Amino acid sequence: MNVENASAFSRLILIAIALSVSGNAWADDQADFFHQQVEPILRQHCYGCHSHASGQMENGLALDWKSGWVVGGDRGPAIVPGNPDESLLIHAIEHRDGDLKMPDEKLAAAEIDVLVQWVRQGAFDDRVVAPSDNDDDPWWSLKPLVAVPIPQMATPTGDTTSHPIDAFIGLKLADAHLAPSPDATPRTLIRRLYFDLIGLPPSPDEVVRFETNPSETAYLRLVDQLLASQHYGERWARHWFDTIHFADSHGYEHDVGRDHAWPYRDYVINALNDDLSWATFIRQQLAVDHFEPESSQLTAALGFLGAGTYDHSTYITGPVTFDYLARDDLLTQTMAAFVSSTANCARCHAHKFDPISQEDYYALQAVFSGIVKGDVRYDADANVAALRRRLVAMIDAANRGDTTALQSPDCQELVAKWTADHGSGASWKPVDLQSFVSIEGATLTRQDDGAILASGPSPETDTYVINVTASLPRITALRLDVLPHDSLPMKGPGRCSNGNLHLSEVVVTAFMPGENSGKTVAISQATADFDQAGWGVHRAIDGDAKTAWGIHPVVGQPHHAIFQFTQPIDLPAGSSLTVALKQLHGGSHLIGAFRLSVTDSPTTKIIALPQDVEQALQIEPSQRTQSQSIAIAGHVVKLAAQAQLSQLPEQATVYAAASSVGIPLGGGKTQPASIPSPKIVHLLQRGDINKPKDQVPPGALSALTHLPSRFTDTVSQSESARRAALADWIAHRDNVLTWRSAVNRVWHYHFGRGLCDTPNDFGRMGGAVSHPELIDWLAIWFRDDAAGSLKKLHRMIVTSKTYRQSSQHRDDGAAIDADNRLLWRQNHQRIDADSYRDLVLAASGRIDLTMGGPAIQHFHQSPGAQLTPKLDYAAYDWASPQSSRRSVYRYVWRGIPDPLMSALDFPDLGLLIPNRSNSISPLQALSLFNNNFVLFHSQSMAQQIIDQSNDIDQQIVEATQRVYQRSLSAAEHERFRDYVDQHGLAAFCRLLLNSSELLFIP
Amino acid sequence: MNDQISNRRQMLLQGGAGFGIFALSQLLGRDSNTFAANNRQHASGFPVEHHPPKVKRIIQLFMTGGASPMDTFDYKPELERLHGQMLGPKEKPEGFTAAAGAIMKSPFTFAQHGQSGRWVSSVFPEQAKLVDEMAFLMAMTTKTNVHGPGTYMMNSGFLLPGFPCMGAWISYALGNLTDDLPTFVVLPDSRGLPYNQKGCFSAGFLPPVHEGIVIDATAKPAVPDLFPAQQFAFANRTADQDGLDLLRQINQRYADTHPGDDRLDARIASYELAAKMQLSAPHAFDLSKEPEHIHNSYGIQQTETADFGRRCLLARRLIERGVRFVQVWSGPQGAVNNWDNHGNIEKELPPMALSVDRPIAALLRDLKASGLDKDTLVIWTTEFGRTPFAQGSLGRDHNGGSFVTWLWGAGIKPGVAHGRSDDWGYQAVENKTWCYDLHATVLHLLGIDHTQLTMRQNGIDRRLTDVHGHVVQEILA
Repeated sequence: MNVENASAFSRLILIAIALSVSGNAWADDQADFFHQQVEPILRQHCYGCHSHASGQMENGLALDWKSGWVVGGDRGPAIVPGNPDESLLIHAIEHRDGDLKMPDEKLAAAEIDVLVQWVRQGAFDDRVVAPSDNDDDPWWSLKPLVAVPIPQMATPTGDTTSHPIDAFIGLKLADAHLAPSPDATPRTLIRRLYFDLIGLPPSPDEVVRFETNPSETAYLRLVDQLLASQHYGERWARHWFDTIHFADSHGYEHDVGRDHAWPYRDYVINALNDDLSWATFIRQQLAVDHFEPESSQLTAALGFLGAGTYDHSTYITGPVTFDYLARDDLLTQTMAAFVSSTANCARCHAHKFDPISQEDYYALQAVFSGIVKGDVRYDADANVAALRRRLVAMIDAANRGDTTALQSPDCQELVAKWTADHGSGASWKPVDLQSFVSIEGATLTRQDDGAILASGPSPETDTYVINVTASLPRITALRLDVLPHDSLPMKGPGRCSNGNLHLSEVVVTAFMPGENSGKTVAISQATADFDQAGWGVHRAIDGDAKTAWGIHPVVGQPHHAIFQFTQPIDLPAGSSLTVALKQLHGGSHLIGAFRLSVTDSPTTKIIALPQDVEQALQIEPSQRTQSQSIAIAGHVVKLAAQAQLSQLPEQATVYAAASSVGIPLGGGKTQPASIPSPKIVHLLQRGDINKPKDQVPPGALSALTHLPSRFTDTVSQSESARRAALADWIAHRDNVLTWRSAVNRVWHYHFGRGLCDTPNDFGRMGGAVSHPELIDWLAIWFRDDAAGSLKKLHRMIVTSKTYRQSSQHRDDGAAIDADNRLLWRQNHQRIDADSYRDLVLAASGRIDLTMGGPAIQHFHQSPGAQLTPKLDYAAYDWASPQSSRRSVYRYVWRGIPDPLMSALDFPDLGLLIPNRSNSISPLQALSLFNNNFVLFHSQSMAQQIIDQSNDIDQQIVEATQRVYQRSLSAAEHERFRDYVDQHGLAAFCRLLLNSSELLFIP
Repeated sequence: MNDQISNRRQMLLQGGAGFGIFALSQLLGRDSNTFAANNRQHASGFPVEHHPPKVKRIIQLFMTGGASPMDTFDYKPELERLHGQMLGPKEKPEGFTAAAGAIMKSPFTFAQHGQSGRWVSSVFPEQAKLVDEMAFLMAMTTKTNVHGPGTYMMNSGFLLPGFPCMGAWISYALGNLTDDLPTFVVLPDSRGLPYNQKGCFSAGFLPPVHEGIVIDATAKPAVPDLFPAQQFAFANRTADQDGLDLLRQINQRYADTHPGDDRLDARIASYELAAKMQLSAPHAFDLSKEPEHIHNSYGIQQTETADFGRRCLLARRLIERGVRFVQVWSGPQGAVNNWDNHGNIEKELPPMALSVDRPIAALLRDLKASGLDKDTLVIWTTEFGRTPFAQGSLGRDHNGGSFVTWLWGAGIKPGVAHGRSDDWGYQAVENKTWCYDLHATVLHLLGIDHTQLTMRQNGIDRRLTDVHGHVVQEILA
C-alpha cells in the first residue's frame, strides 16, 4: 500500500466512522445482537450441560454467564474474543476436532454463523452476574429488600475498611481478575465533579488550588461545596425533566406554549437544593394539595402532573379517546419515573413479561381520572392562602344562610361595625332634569313623579343622554332607579319582551360653570339591589361595551344601581352633569322607565342592597326576626369578605393538572375545563374504547403483594385522595421498586450508565443488573441511613474510589469487560446539549447565573395558521437580555426544537427520556461550527479577553484556560499563536468551542 | 474497487477489539447494503438484507389535512343517488368536528383512465394519465379522525408523539447512500410546517441523528448552519479552511490521549464530512442548474404550482445525489391552504389539487426518463379521508374510515388497485390496509423484514409497525 492509498484508506475509515451513532446505542446494539441472536442458541443447545440452572457444568464449563467462558473449563478459556479460529467453542460447534464435537447433533449452519460472527466481533456478553441456581425466584427488582452485608475483602494494602461501593465493585472486579483503575488526575477530578454536580466549569484558579493540594480533605470539601451550591439543583433538575418529559409546550397539532410551566421547574430546582427527602418529593409532586393543604406555596409541585403532552384537538373532538390517552401518559410517566415500571404495556392485554395485569393498568388510570392538565391558580404566600380560604368560607356560609356561622362572634362584630357605619343609609335627592334624549329616536317622556318613560320606536340598541343640574353642591354618588310601568313588556322595567334591560356602560360628565367641555367623573364602585347571573352591575363600569348589567328574571318590579364616585364632586352654581346610559347589547335590551338621584352622604353609607336586606335594615334591631337578622348578616359578611378578597395579592399560576383548570390556548387565553368528580374508568378489552368491561377502582400494581394495591376507600373521598394513595404506595418504605429506582437513576447520571442500564424499566425486558447486591445495599442505605437525602447519596457515590477512577482505556479491562459493566474505570462521557451551552456561556464570560422565573425564549415568535405559533431560532439576537441564562431556563418547545440543541441530542420530549443518546454526525459538526450561538459567543469571548489584555500570548492562555482549565504545551501554544496571528482570536475561540476536549467529561 | 473496499473492511473488522468492532460496524452506515451482503446483519442484529431490495430511495408526497377520497380517486356513484339524504350517524362520532350532515355527492366529474380503467376525478387530469403506472391502496384506514394523532400515525405508526417516523427508521436501518447530503430530508410547504410541527419527522427514541432534516427550499443556505452567517466576519473562508485543519490537530491530540474511544475519531471525521457537505449541498439545492423545459414541466413558472413543483424537482435532485428518503408536504397545518376542506369541497379542493397535479406527473415522468425509477419508490398519501356526509352543506369532515394511497416505481405492480371502501366511501370494507401494512410494504421493498427492525425502549421492542403489519403482496411486481 503506497502512501497515497494509505491516506485514502484512513480517510475511508474516518468517513465510515463518522456516520453517526451514540455511545449508548453501541452498547445497546451489541446487547441486542447478543440477547436476540446469540443467547437463544446458547440457551437451547448448551445450557443443558453447561449452566447453573441445569445443575451441570460438564468439564467445569459454564456458558450461562461471561465469566464461565472467560475462565473456561478443563481445557481453558472457551472463547478468544475476535478470533473464532482460536476459540475452543467454535472448534467444538463446527465439529472440527475429533475429540471435541459439541453438541452431538451439529448446530444448523445459520446458528453456527451467528456464533462465529459473535466471537469474531468480540464476543460481547453482558451476563456479568453469576446466574441463580433457581429459576423460580421472583424477578430481581421485585424481591424484598434484605440487608446486604458489605463484602469484606482485603485490598492490596491490607485495608479492609474500604468505601462500601468500592467493596461491592471490587468484589466483582476481583472475580473477573481485574484491578480498578487508579484515581484520575486532580485536574480531571475537579472538572468531573464540577460538570457532574453543577454543570459548570471550575475557575482555572480553583483547578490550580486543587492540583496543588489534592488531599482527601480538599476533595471532600469540594464535594460539600458543590452539593451546597444552588447550581446543583439546576443541573440535576434537568435530569428529572428528561425523565418525566417536562417541557414548555403542549406538543401535537396545537403545540401551544405553556407560559406557566416554569414555577414547577423552579420547584424542582428548589426541592433538590433543599434536599427534600425522596418520599416527600414523591408525595408533593403527586398530591401536595392533599398532604399539605395549608402549603399553597407548594402548589407548583403539581406541575409534575402537567409535565407531559396535551392534545387539544382530540380533547375537543374525541373526548373519550382523549381521557384514556391523557391518563395513559400520566400513569406511564409516574410509574416509569418513580418505580421503573412499564405499567403502560398492560393497556391492551396483561403485560407480556412482567406481573402487571390489565386491572392494575386501569386501576392506575382511575387514580388520575379526576384531573385534567392546565393552568392552576394558587397563592404563593401561605398566609394569603389561609386568609383567602377563610374569606371564601365566609362567603359560602353567607350564601348558604348558615346561621351558626353568621351568628359567630367574628361575623356579629363585622355586622355591628357595618350597621353603625351604614346607619340609615344614604339620603338621595332626585336630580333636576334639564334635557334628555334617546340617540336612536325612542320617545322619552317625563312623568309626574320625575321619572322618565321610554315609548314609541324600540330600537335594537340605544343610548340615553340626560342633562341635569344637581340638587346638591357636592355629590358622592349617582343612583339609577329602573321602574316598572304598565306600558312595558312584562311591566318592565326593561323594554325587552321579557322585561329585561342591559345597561352596557354609564358615563357621567361634569361641566363647570362657563366651561363648554366637561370632565368624565371617575366611578369607583357600582352596586345594585339585584344582578342577573353573569350580568353583574360592575359590568356597567368596566369600559367594555359588550358586557352589561341586567335584572332578568326578577322583572315587573323596581331595581336600582348606585355608582359611587372615586372623589366627591363639587358642583358650584351654574355647573351641570351629563349622564349617558349606553345600552348596546342589542335585542332591545333597553331601559323602560327610570329616575336619577344624587347624594352627598359619606361613602360608608352608599351602597345598593338587596330588597330584603334593605327592608330588614328599616326595622329596629330588636324587632327583627331571625331571618331578617341573618339576611343582614349574610349580606354584610359577603360585602366585607369580597372587599377583603379584592385586596389580596394577585394569584400565581402553574401549568399542572387539577379538577379545575384553564387550558392555555396561546396569547394568554385560556379555556376553562373541569371534572366535577372523578370519571368512571372501565377496563377496556384490547384497549378499545368501544369495548368497556368492568369498572375499576383506583389502585396500583398487585405484584408488590405486601402493599395494598387497590385504593377503594378513596372513591368516596375527594379526588386528591386517589393521588395521595398512589403517592403513599410509591413512597412506602416497603416499595422495593421505588428505592431501587431512585439510587439507580442517580448512579446512572454519575457514571453515564445505571447499575441497571434501563432506568425506566426494571422488568424482564429491561437491562440486566450488573451489581444486584450493590443496588440493594444502596437502596436500603438511601432509604434508612440517608433518610431519602439525594445529597447524601451523591456524596456516597462521588467519594468512592470507583467514581474517582481514571477513565483511561486499559487493554486488560477492555479484553475482559469492554463494555465496562464492572466499572474497572470511570466512563468517558460526552457532555449533553444543556451542559455544552452552559460551558460555552461560561467560557465566553457572558453567563448570567440569575435563577428562576419565566422561561427564556431563544427564538422569534410569530402567529401561525392556527394555535401553534411559528418560531424562528436563526433570527434570535444573542445580545438580547437574558440570552445568556443557563440552559435549564430555556423555553423548550416540544414540536419546534432548537436546532443546535437537537444536533447535540437534546431529546424529543414526546416520550420519557431516561437516558439521552450521544450522537456524532456531520450535521452536528456543521451546527457546532456555524450556529449563531457558537459564533456569537466565540466573538464575545474573544472580545472580553482582548479587553483584558493586549498581549496575544496572554490571550491564548486565557482562552484555553477558560475552555480547558489547563496550561498549554509549548508546541500547542506555537500552533495556536500562528492561527491567531492569521485569523484572530474569535476564530480561535470558535475552534476551542468545537474541540473534543470540551465535549467530553474526562 | 469493490474488492478493495471489502478488504479494507475486513481489516477494519479484524483490526479492532471487542466493543470497537460494533461501533465501527454501526458507523459503517454508508454502504450498509454492501456491508450486509458480506455480513447480512445490521450492527443491532437484525438482518438488513432479509431479501434483495428493489428500492434504494424514496420520495413520499404527503397531502396535509386529509385529502378527500370520494372527490379524487375513489369514485362513488351511490353518493349521487343518495345526495341530500340524512343517512349518517345520529350522534357525533369521536373525532368528527361536527355532527354528520346529509350525504353529499362529489361536485366533480369522474372518468375512467388508462388501460386499467381507474376512475379519477376532474381535479387530477395529469395524474390521471399515469394511473397505469401506479398501484392504489383503495381501502386505507386509520385509528383516528384527528389531525395530530392521524399525522403521527401515518408517519410513525403511533398516535402519540415521541416515536420515530418511517424516514428515521429507514435512516437507522440502512444509513446513507452518500456522504455529501443528509440521509432523510423533509421539504415542508413554504407556508408552514404540517400538524405536529417537526414531531412528524422526529427520530423519537432513535438517535436524533436520524431525524428528518427540514429544508426550507426558499432559504439560502437551504441546509441549516451549512455556512456561518455573514455577520460573523471572522468566520471567513480561509479562517474556516485553516481552522478545520487546526481543529483536526487539536481533536487528534485529544483522541491520542484517549485511546480506545472510537467516538473521538468519529468526531474528527464528522468535520471532514461536514466540509464535503458544504461543497456538495449548495449544488444539489441549486435549481437553476436544471434546463428550462424541466422548470416548465414541473410548473415552476406558474404561481399555482411553483412551490410544490420546486420541491418535487428538488426531491428528484436530492435522491439522484444519494439522499435516501425525501418527504414533500403539500399544505401547512391550519384551517386553510391544505386538504382539510371542511367548508366547501367544490371551492377548497381544486386549488390544492391543481398545486400538486402537474408537479407530481412531471416528477414521475422525470424519474422515468432519468432511469431513477429503477430503484426509486414514490408514495402519495395523506393522514385520513373525509366523510361522505356534508359538513355545513358543502364541506366534508374528517374520516379515518377509508382513504387512498398510491405507490409508484421500483418493485410496484403497475396499474393495480387493492382494497375497496363501502359504497359511500365511508369505511374500508375489503382488503383493508393500515399504515402498518404500508410501512411493512415499504420496508419490504427496501429489503427489510419489518418484524425484525426493532429498538428497545422503556421495556418494549418497538417497531415501525408496532405489533401489526402485512406486506401487501398484491401491489408488488
